[in-house]
Amino acid sequence: MLSILSVEARKLNRSLAALLALAAPSLIAVFAFFMLLRGDKPQPWEMWLGSAAGIWAFFMLPMSVTALTALVAHMEHGPKSWDHLRALPLPRWKLYAAKVVCVLAVVAIMSAATLGLTIVAVKLAVMIKPVIEPTGPMELARWIKVLAMMFGAALLMAAIQLWTALRYFSFVPGLVVGIGGTFFAVVATSAKQGVFLPWQMPVNMLASEPWRVTTALGLGCGVGLLALVAMTIHLARREVR
Amino acid sequence: MAAAIETHHLSRRFKDHLAVDAVSMTVPDKAVYGFLGRNGAGKTTTLKMLLGLIAPTSGAARVAGVDVARDRLAAARRTGALLEAHGFYGNLSGRENLDLTRTLLGLPKTEIDRVLEVVEMTDNAGRRVSDYSLGMRQRLGLARAMLGAPPVLILDEPTNGLDPDGIADMRRFLRALPERTGATVLLSSHLLGEIEQTATHIGILSHGQLVLEGELDRLKADLAPEVVFQTDDQTRAAALASARGFTLEVTEDETVARLKPGEDARAAAAALNRALIETGLNVFAIGPRARSLEGIYREVSQPQPRLEAA
Repeated sequence: MLSILSVEARKLNRSLAALLALAAPSLIAVFAFFMLLRGDKPQPWEMWLGSAAGIWAFFMLPMSVTALTALVAHMEHGPKSWDHLRALPLPRWKLYAAKVVCVLAVVAIMSAATLGLTIVAVKLAVMIKPVIEPTGPMELARWIKVLAMMFGAALLMAAIQLWTALRYFSFVPGLVVGIGGTFFAVVATSAKQGVFLPWQMPVNMLASEPWRVTTALGLGCGVGLLALVAMTIHLARREVR
Repeated sequence: MAAAIETHHLSRRFKDHLAVDAVSMTVPDKAVYGFLGRNGAGKTTTLKMLLGLIAPTSGAARVAGVDVARDRLAAARRTGALLEAHGFYGNLSGRENLDLTRTLLGLPKTEIDRVLEVVEMTDNAGRRVSDYSLGMRQRLGLARAMLGAPPVLILDEPTNGLDPDGIADMRRFLRALPERTGATVLLSSHLLGEIEQTATHIGILSHGQLVLEGELDRLKADLAPEVVFQTDDQTRAAALASARGFTLEVTEDETVARLKPGEDARAAAAALNRALIETGLNVFAIGPRARSLEGIYREVSQPQPRLEAA
């Protein structure tokens, strides 16, 4: 399995995945940087880190997962590599499991980068304009936990996106599902039913009602893991023609 | 001779279409087996079943003695494949592409240099695959198929898209492969000339059925020779040859008279020549000709059924 993971990592490393992994969290940090510079009064750390986590979970995470899964799948769809890979003396499920691991690893790195780059952006803005230095504790451990929960709640969404992207040769079905899911997550933010929408599950980690947090995390992580296993089995068994 | 590849009543149906129909083929060890057939005859489907990429509807396939359906991994360990879609990552170099497969196969790094040398690609291995010509990609595909020196190589249309020089190079290379690597080669093609000059054995697939199989030289020898002739009145000449018991094939330029198996072609040509001249015909050319693969192919493969407009 390690050799397959190393091959996947090498392929990803030479694709535009690194650019995507850096771009999405950077955009949030850049936004926070300019928002800080616009202000005249100091705000608590919670406001900056909370809004960064919110933007990440609400919009950037679903869109990044959509783009990343399309990219990962198209690495094989584009050059029509499946026949070559599937003819090798390797259990096919490992090929798909390696893709799952790589996608989740990149999402985890992006989640960490969102937090890290936002803190850097705040510090940089303070260097330029010391009067806006955030007040209160940073509570880094708390925000790491929140982002980790968002990651867990995003598993179902990641499974659906990766499944669609790997199943269909064209990247269009994956994009339609991703854009559609994000659209409904955005327009139905306050809807009670939104907690059951995979694309809205991560942002529910910031909900004030505990049932929303536990429901979204339980469904997103639990059903997400099951969906990833089902995806791996289904793709390994199906014929690619 | 032991069989490197064997299929037994191998069939594959796609909904209503029977793509491969009870194919029982035998590829002897160390042979270069030309798998012939029109586009859509079922060649690629058969090869995909041999590689375990698609499952047969019925029947069985064995590669190097291993049943593909029962133990795909063991069969795949004994097989290298070059498929129509190469599956190279264009943003990586040839060497990097080979290294990905080498890593997946758990082979030592020295394997890359070995296979690059075999296909004479060492000098270009550092270039990105997106900058390669089609011929270079085909050779890189062969190099990748040979990683780990599998005893069986399955090559799907290896000369597809190559220019005449590339085809000649590939032909020379394929002919020498069993001697250089000890591998058995199964190559599919719809180009008769290519197979005739490369293969030691052939199998002809027509509408999903294996209609002929055997050692190419023996197949040619077993078939009756023919006498080709051109005269100033082909219609009269054909009537005369026909009256003398020849089976004829008339084209625009020449008439071909099929002899009976074992008949002396030179004596038959002389007798026919005499008869034509005695009838007053001017004979421009006449002589015996050994049967070609094309002749064999035309005899055994039927034309595609045409769809009539309602």
